[in-house]
Amino acid sequence: MAEVSAGQVARLAVLFERHHRALFRYFVSMNGDREQAEDLVQEVFFRMLRYRTSYDPAQSFTAWMYQIARNAGVDQLRKRGAVQVVDIDTYVERRAELVSASPGPEESASRGQDLALLRRAMDQLPEDKREILVLSRFQGMKHEDIAEVLGCEVGTVKVRVYRAIRALEQIYFTLEKEKAS
Amino acid sequence: MTCEQARIQMLGGGEGKDFAEHLASCESCRNEVSRIGTLWQSLDLLPLEEPSGKVRDRFYEMLGAYRQGLAAAETRPVRHWWTAPAWQVAAAAGLLAAGLGIGYGMRGNGQPPAEVSQLREEVANMRQLVALSLMQQQSASDRLRGVSWAYRAEPSDREVLGALVTAVNHDSNVNVRLAAVDALRRFSASPETGRAALQSLSKQTTPIVQVALIDLLVDLKNPEAAPELRRLSGNETANEGVRQRAQWALERLQ
Repeated sequence: MAEVSAGQVARLAVLFERHHRALFRYFVSMNGDREQAEDLVQEVFFRMLRYRTSYDPAQSFTAWMYQIARNAGVDQLRKRGAVQVVDIDTYVERRAELVSASPGPEESASRGQDLALLRRAMDQLPEDKREILVLSRFQGMKHEDIAEVLGCEVGTVKVRVYRAIRALEQIYFTLEKEKAS
Repeated sequence: MTCEQARIQMLGGGEGKDFAEHLASCESCRNEVSRIGTLWQSLDLLPLEEPSGKVRDRFYEMLGAYRQGLAAAETRPVRHWWTAPAWQVAAAAGLLAAGLGIGYGMRGNGQPPAEVSQLREEVANMRQLVALSLMQQQSASDRLRGVSWAYRAEPSDREVLGALVTAVNHDSNVNVRLAAVDALRRFSASPETGRAALQSLSKQTTPIVQVALIDLLVDLKNPEAAPELRRLSGNETANEGVRQRAQWALERLQ
């Protein structure tokens, strides 16, 4: 990014190839809409170009990128004039299809169902908890970087990750009970 | 260490003497670590979504447009007193005369203007960058796309040629190796291509790639290939199809 910031904008292609999938997954996890997630990936890289001179090489690039990503996500919600419009039934159904499409023998069918349930539990988590789990678990970000993105202390990140996983566990068991009854 | 501290620490790996001692003495935390730890690990099993190919196309379109915009902005003049209409008319007349004069002086030169050359160079750089970036990706389909971008690189581009040779020699996916052999034809004017193809032939063990390399050596009319082809055609442990192709190539090159 330092090279892009110094005017070699074509070098952004390297960053794109390295990070666009992770960004896409972050947005899909947050809003459940593939098309919107692709638009947002585009928007993030556009903003990187536009604000490239604001990048500080001493700062973590990943943290900077996710700060832009969060802002882009918030701006898009504002533009659409909605807090968050997600057709949860369609979304969960599609996710369940994705999970059950995982390859594997018969015995993996039950595991597939568990995963579908886990995905549903993730989708039902409050947005702030889902985000911190996505960043720490799916994006593999360090607690230090997450703290920079969220503007809080590293200790706070650890506590919030723990609370998020506990909340996920509760939702998961509730869904499991509902399914069993 | 308190229970809360221990439970928070477990998600970060749960290392350290204090943590171990606490777990040994606290059954509630042991259960928690087991339960939450399993859930934490399960998150890894959720399938990963992949973006469509449109994302990449749109990005490169955007990047290209942005670079063009930057280049245009850099050449845009700053407004000064001489931008007033009267001065512009006078300047236009002067420029017309100068243009006619320069045009007369340059007739028959056939050289493109400097801006066009610069633009061409930038486009070539961009294509090179895309090809090189994609060929380094983990996904074989991305690397295949990178190989296809190599066709758009300049035939004199040594970096792209080097990346293709590396792909032929070391890529784990046979389709990528095969596509890279085909793409080497784009660089047939370079003597390095023939040498690299010959060296690769002695390293390859996949028959289909060996045949593709033999065909390439024939197309390149590389006479230095004869000893290796002779060795291959006489090698009884080699694939029968490869041996026959090597014999055929020897006849073509003689």
